[in-house]
This record gives sequence, structure tokens and C-alpha cells, in this order.
Amino acid sequence: MNRTRREFLAGTAGAMALPLLTGSGFAQSEGTLRIGALNPVTGAGGPYGEGMQKMILAAADAVNAAGGAAGRKIEIFAEDTQTDPQAAVLAAKKLIEVNKVQAVLGTWSSGVSLAVVPLTNDAGIMLMNTSGAPALSVPPANEKGLSYRFQATNDRFGRAFAEIAEKEGFKRPATMAFNNASGIGNTEGFKKAWEAKGGEIVSSVVYEPKQTSYSSELMQILAAQPDVIVMGSYVGDTTIILREWYQAGQPAKWIIPGWAANSDLVAALGPDVVEGIISVDSVSNEEAAAYTEYDKAYQAAMGKPGSDNVYAAMTWDMMTVLALAVEAAGTTDMAKVNEKMHDVANPDGTTVSSFAEGKEALKSGPINYEGASSVLDFDAYGDVTPDFSASVIEDGKINRHYVVKI
Amino acid sequence: MLSYLLAIAIITLIYLLLSFGLSLQYGSVGLINFGHVGFFAIGAYTSALLALSGVPLFASFCAAAIAAGLAAWPIGLISLRLRDDYFAIVTLGFSETVRIIIVSEKWLTNGVQGVPGIPRLFSSLPVGLAAQLATAGLLLAVCVGAALVMWRIIKSPFGRVIQAIRDNEDALKALGKDPARFKIQVLMLSAALAGIAGAFYAHYITFIIPEQFVPLVTFYVWMAIIIGGVGRISGAIVGTVLLMVFLEGSRFMRDFIPGVSEVEMASLRIGVIGLLLILFTLYRPQGLMGDYTKR
Repeated sequence: MNRTRREFLAGTAGAMALPLLTGSGFAQSEGTLRIGALNPVTGAGGPYGEGMQKMILAAADAVNAAGGAAGRKIEIFAEDTQTDPQAAVLAAKKLIEVNKVQAVLGTWSSGVSLAVVPLTNDAGIMLMNTSGAPALSVPPANEKGLSYRFQATNDRFGRAFAEIAEKEGFKRPATMAFNNASGIGNTEGFKKAWEAKGGEIVSSVVYEPKQTSYSSELMQILAAQPDVIVMGSYVGDTTIILREWYQAGQPAKWIIPGWAANSDLVAALGPDVVEGIISVDSVSNEEAAAYTEYDKAYQAAMGKPGSDNVYAAMTWDMMTVLALAVEAAGTTDMAKVNEKMHDVANPDGTTVSSFAEGKEALKSGPINYEGASSVLDFDAYGDVTPDFSASVIEDGKINRHYVVKI
Repeated sequence: MLSYLLAIAIITLIYLLLSFGLSLQYGSVGLINFGHVGFFAIGAYTSALLALSGVPLFASFCAAAIAAGLAAWPIGLISLRLRDDYFAIVTLGFSETVRIIIVSEKWLTNGVQGVPGIPRLFSSLPVGLAAQLATAGLLLAVCVGAALVMWRIIKSPFGRVIQAIRDNEDALKALGKDPARFKIQVLMLSAALAGIAGAFYAHYITFIIPEQFVPLVTFYVWMAIIIGGVGRISGAIVGTVLLMVFLEGSRFMRDFIPGVSEVEMASLRIGVIGLLLILFTLYRPQGLMGDYTKR
């Protein structure tokens, strides 16, 4: 009873999909290159997922408009991870088994990427993510070198924090971290880099999400008389903490990641409270020609400036650099394409900023794609190292002061 | 394709084990448990951590069931003093406590970083279909076993006693039965089932992180048994299968409804589930497989 009913229903769902799959396969020219877009459309990643998915589609359109990669048009199959590892695993299974995709692009949270990566490894295809967890760089997650990360690791964020704290001349930093992989990753990375510089952390605390007050954690930190408080936090909790700090009246400076110290924070607290806060973010490669193209595509798809969503710039680059690697390999055999990933993205070669340009330049020699999200040079672990900006909030405006390279 | 269907089947069967437990608790003893995911988490972490330290999987699965069952014992004691909504609140608190302990005890659970690289079941078989088929088969066997045990319980004198607890606890006491013992037994049994489900989950997904064990999981199970019909094996099965087939099947609906993007589809999916739940509680509170003769 149980089995037949389940099989019947599941089978029906599958059978409904079959004619479409074969249909779309024949409709296009002999074998399209099938790519999976696996993004956090709902759940915690919801604010970014839609833009990420649309930029994969837009970049694929640009590739197809330039005649496709290695003679193949690109076909995108999109799915929602729901920012939930279990839903993401099923979605990835569907993309790999049913849609037969040759790469999965755009997983966002670390939990999702770590859950999906065993599947893509088994299938021998690439997974490109925008997650922060260090575990993604090394085996078992990256045992086959098929995992690429387009976002700075939390560890690198921490190092940028340490550079900025040193540059600003702070002596007595304290840290406060939101209790998840990302928040702790930031402050731990800072601690490591700061102590390597011979500094000392005067106090640190990890706090639980979704509290209505953080005054006890805050008092614990302020009791150590820090001159700067380094945060690994999000907008909601940062708002509460800063409000309580302002009421307490003890002077201190703040270094806060850019996804928390943004215009929402200023709007929630007013310019007086947030005056002088240093906001640190990875910078999209805003001077680059690739960024201009991405920005145009983002405006067209979402009606907002491209700077609204750093992750969308990353997914734009994912699609573009993958297509370039396919073009360079001259085949859609993913093992060969994977070997070309470093070649087309890293230095030595003609600098290019779009697929069309790269396709042309590949005829005469090696290329180096300079992305919209960063200069996009992969290290041995498939990680990129973007630059970081230090912005200071002045009169309610977030003004970029300088850029830090790590 | 087959591998994908198997993946859905495996997740459905894991949820079915959870539904059985909740259905038994609510349908027979009348306990409203909002913290089922806590036992699921205990099972997942117990088995994963033991397996990673070299314990054979069979032993780690047994340990998962035992650990989850034992964790239910104090909850059972509490249930003697609390009824209905109060018990629901305490269990919700319990599952969150479990999650926060997992987050905080980094030395054991690796905290918010999660536990990667959990060994798969049947890892000696080649990766892919064979191992999945074996996993699905084993899960099916466990589910059938659990269903048989539940069926036996419901039909046995023990089952009649626990139904009597739900219907009129005072009358039962007057007859000289001790409802407390029965409640604790039912709780521990269904917690052990949830523990086994957790072990299967951990070894199937191969990566666990505290954020997978949020109350939403409990409420998915509640949705399933509300739709299917509370207190019946067939209700748990029908509800779980329908919920999972709908959640997964809606991925394919997009191919038929033109002009709906993945973004809109995701919202639509959640909306439809919400609407279904409201309609069911309004018009068919006994669920699809519930007793049609009474309301």
C-alpha cells in the first residue's frame, strides 16, 4: 500500500517531466550545455537568491548571443535551495539526475554548499558557491578540486578586519559574534590575524540569535574597556546592540561587516548613533568593464543598481568564467573544462571582461578574465581573494575611505 | 531519474518515521508534541558522531534510538503535570534546548560549523544507485516494522488503554490504571523512532548542522498528519507521501504553467500548503484517512 502509492505518485511526477526534458533536448541544437542554477530563492538567502538566479540567466544569454561556448548553447535549469540543506540536496539530485546538468552554480549558505558538494563530487561536476565556511576549501568537500568559491572566506574577512584595525591605530579590540558559522568565522579570523600581528584581544563574546536584548553580552564587552569592537553580525542583532550601546554612553569604535552596517542600519538607528562606524565589505570589481555589463544586466532584470547584491555579481562571473573555460577546452567534457578554470581566470593572458571578448581573444592565446565581483583569480583551493573596502558612516552616509588588499 | 525518485522516497520514508511517532502520541495518548525534531536531532548527532569515531553503523543506529528514547524519559515525567497546550510549549522549548546545546558544545558537535563527511550506509556498494536502493530498502523495512509495531499497539490492550487516556484520563485512573506509565512508554517509543529517522537522515545527507533541526521540521510532520488524519497509520502514510510529493512535484509544475519563474513558484508552493492546511482544519479536521462517520 505504502510502496505502490508512493511509487505511483512519484512516478507520475517523473512521467510528467519526461516529455519536457526530451522535448527541450531536441528543440535546441545538437546537445545544449546544461547548467544548474541552485540559489536561495526563499529562506534566509531570499533577499539575494532571485538576483543571483536572474544573473546566471542573463550571463547565459550573453554567452548564447555570442554563439555559445565550444559551439554549444547554454541551457539553464533553475532550482530553489530554500536556504535549507535538505531541500537543496533534493533539488541538486533533481538537477543532476533529471536535468543532467554539467555544473551547479550559485549555492549561497555554507550549510547548503557543504550538503550539496558530495553530490556534485560523485557526479564529477563543478559546484560554484558564495559561501564563507573554510571547510569548503579542503577535503572531503573539495577532494576533487571541483568546488569553486566566489566569495571571500570568513577567514579572509577576519584578516581584512585586522588590517583595518591596525591601520586605524586601535590597540584594545574586543569581538562580538553571532553564533553561526559565518559570524564566528569572522571574529575567529580576526583573532588569528590580530594575534599574528602581536596584538591582544581584550574580551570576546558569542551571542545567541533572535534575542530582544543583548545588554548583558554588551556590558561584558564594555567592562574590558575596548577601544574598538569587531563584530561578526547581521542587521537585526547589530541594531539592538548599537542601540543599547548608545544608551549606555561608553565611547567605543565599531568595525562591522558590510552586510550588517548598511543603509538599513542607518535608517533604523538614525545618523547620531551610527556616526563613525567602520563598515567593511568585499568590493565588487566596480572599476572593471565586466562590472558595467553586470550592472546593466542587473538593472534590466531587477530594476535596482548592481551594487545592491554582491552575490549576483558573483553568479554573473560564475556563468561567464565557466563558459570561457568550456570555450578554452573546446569540449563539454567537464574533467577537461575543470583543468581550464584556472587558466582562463588567472593572470598571464589577455585581460578580458566578457564572454564575447574572451572567445575572440582565446583564438590568439591565453586569457585572464577580470570579473564583476573581483579580479577573480583562483588560488590552489579554488578560492578567490577579493579586495575589501573600509567605509565610514558620516552624517548618515556610508562613505568609502580606502580599499584594503590582503 | 531513478536516483532522484529514490532520493525523494528516502526523504519521504524518513519523514514517515517521524509522522508515525507524532501520530501515535497525539492520536492515541493525546499529547501535543511540538518538539519532535529534538529527538530527530539527538538521533542524527548520536549516530553521526559515533560512526565518525569508528563505531559500526548498526551499533550507532541502535545507539541513536536508545539515546533519543532515553531523552524522552524526563519529558514523559513532565507530561504528567502538564496537559495540552502547556505540554506543547514545554516540548517546543525542549527541541530548541537540544539545538542550542548542539550549537554550544563545540568540542563534541563542532557547533555551528556542522559535522561533515558522515559515512554513508552501504558504502561498500558502488556510489550511486546500488547504495541508494539498499538504503531505501532498509528504510522501507524499518517503516514497515514500525507500522506493524504501531498496529499491534493500537489493537492491543495497551493500545486501548492509551486511547482511553486520551478520551478520559480520570475515568481510567478510577479503573485502577496508571496513565503516567503508558504516556512515558508511548513518548519513549516514538522518540526512539525519531532517533532512528535522525540516524538515517545523517548518514544519507552526510552533513549535519544545527540549522537543519529547527521547529519547521516538526511542523512539516504536523502538516502531514493533519492532512492525512491523526492517530491512524494510513493517515500518517498518506499525509507524509502527499506532502513530500507536493513539495517535490511542484518543481515540475513550473514546466507546465508558463510564465511562472522559480522565484514565484517558491512563494506559490508555500502559499498552497498554507491554504491546504486552513481548508483541512476547517472542513476535514479528521484528515483524509480519518473516521468519516464522526466529526
